[in-house]
Amino acid sequence: MSQMDDDENMSKPFRPLLRAGTRYSRDAADRPILMFEDVYKSYRPGVPVLRGTNLIIERGEFVFITGPSGSGKSTLLRLLYRADMVDQGRILFLGRDIARLRDDSVPFLRRNIGVVFQDFKLVTSWSVFENVAITLEVLGLPSRLIRSRVGEALERVGLTGRGGDPAGVLSGGEQQRVAVARAIVGEPALVLADEPTGNLDPQLALDILGLFEEINEAGTTVLFATHDRSLLDIRARRLIVLDEGKAMDVPTGIALHDDDDDDDDELPSGLPL
Amino acid sequence: MFEGATRRARRGMLREWRLHALSVFSLMVAFVCLGAALLVVTNLRAIEDRWAHAGRASIYLKDSATQEDVESLKSALSKLPFVTQVRYVSAGQARLEFGSQEVNKKSELAALPPEAFPASIEIEVVSTVTDDELADTVTKLQKIPSVEDVETYQAWTDRLSRLVKGGVAASALLALVVFASVLAVVGSTIRLALQRRKTEVEVLKLVGATDRFVKGPFLIEGSAQGAMGATGAVALLGALFLIVRGRLDAELAQLIGIEPTFLPWHMVLALVATGALLGMSAAFMGLRKLVTV
Repeated sequence: MSQMDDDENMSKPFRPLLRAGTRYSRDAADRPILMFEDVYKSYRPGVPVLRGTNLIIERGEFVFITGPSGSGKSTLLRLLYRADMVDQGRILFLGRDIARLRDDSVPFLRRNIGVVFQDFKLVTSWSVFENVAITLEVLGLPSRLIRSRVGEALERVGLTGRGGDPAGVLSGGEQQRVAVARAIVGEPALVLADEPTGNLDPQLALDILGLFEEINEAGTTVLFATHDRSLLDIRARRLIVLDEGKAMDVPTGIALHDDDDDDDDELPSGLPL
Repeated sequence: MFEGATRRARRGMLREWRLHALSVFSLMVAFVCLGAALLVVTNLRAIEDRWAHAGRASIYLKDSATQEDVESLKSALSKLPFVTQVRYVSAGQARLEFGSQEVNKKSELAALPPEAFPASIEIEVVSTVTDDELADTVTKLQKIPSVEDVETYQAWTDRLSRLVKGGVAASALLALVVFASVLAVVGSTIRLALQRRKTEVEVLKLVGATDRFVKGPFLIEGSAQGAMGATGAVALLGALFLIVRGRLDAELAQLIGIEPTFLPWHMVLALVATGALLGMSAAFMGLRKLVTV
């Protein structure tokens, strides 16, 4: 991208070029949805979390991101929704450099990205409906449309008829479903899941993973950060391992560990997980 | 968008009603002080206005003044264009009038003989008469041999005017204190509300809410607090005013020459609007450090 293109990007507010489902432009469909180019990020001087990370994610992919604690999984996701800024390098989302977006464009970026967290991040005093509807209220949609789309989203996550319940009284699995509904109700191009199953038992974790797979089948790109090996073993998906600040693609089908022990010899680079 | 912000503001205020009620009560106390000062100033102004345009003067006559002197003086005064009424009050009548006004009839003043009260000619002038015209007439009257002294009550009006000016200055100072307290109280309340609703703000920002969208309900809450504080203060002052006026009406009216009045409606509106505006400004300042996600 030339300097002139960069300057042009700086002057324009972020507008979506690509959305899940039918609303996308041919222009955007031709390029990767996400590109990390030599990305560096550190929170403390001399202790980089990401160092020269390169990554390309195509539209419609389902990608597991894994790595040991502190490897930068959450940082990578935070950079994507501009909760943090890169120190160096570029992250192109739909062809636009996230780091170079103006502050007033960040909300528009986030309207194209759904985020799900380990701790759900729900407003517990609000009802289930309100927690999901807020995504659409922010977009300024009319209330009738909000009602119908929230109803559809709740149906997709298996919470039909629970809209009136206070979010705070739901079980952990149900709360995570509400968080997923909130992330997908705006039909974002990209859904980020930061250890979404970390607080759930194995069966619920599988259910939630199934939800994300359904979302992905509908055309939405999903980045699923987890260190839960059982999930990685069950689903053969593209796997990116973060270690020592770098991202590495691990070919599908390669076992990350033996059932008996934690021997990582089978990993191409012997990455510890 | 405004509808949504109002709904979220109402929800926030209802959920944290104790916090907001405390804030409104504090603002009410501050606005009661300001409102009371304004009420005093308003009534002092009315008294000053009433006295300044009372259009009365008393021409005290010497004991040696004859009936002819009195008649010629009355005739001359009647011909003046700004004099509307001329009335002669003899020493005896003056004694009687004083006696009827004296509450404590056994006081030493009530026991004074009729000779202690000088005869006078009371005139009433139109309210449009200028100070210069009146001063000129007083100078001429003082030169008449049968006239002892002329009292126009200007000195009282001047004193009252100084009192009103002092009251206005005190009110202005009080207004500054009230404004500062509104900024402090609403600002603190909004910061506390923001802290309590940190997750809500985080969620809003994560789903792509603009700063304006996030701040909207808080600004409405601040504005509502200010307006409710001012309205409550006006209501409380009104109730106190009615109680006081109901008990002291006759005595007060006689003493000050006017019937006490409450704050005019435009001043009430200005108080409420000021409360709302200040509340919103305070909320705006309190939100400078909005949660960053």
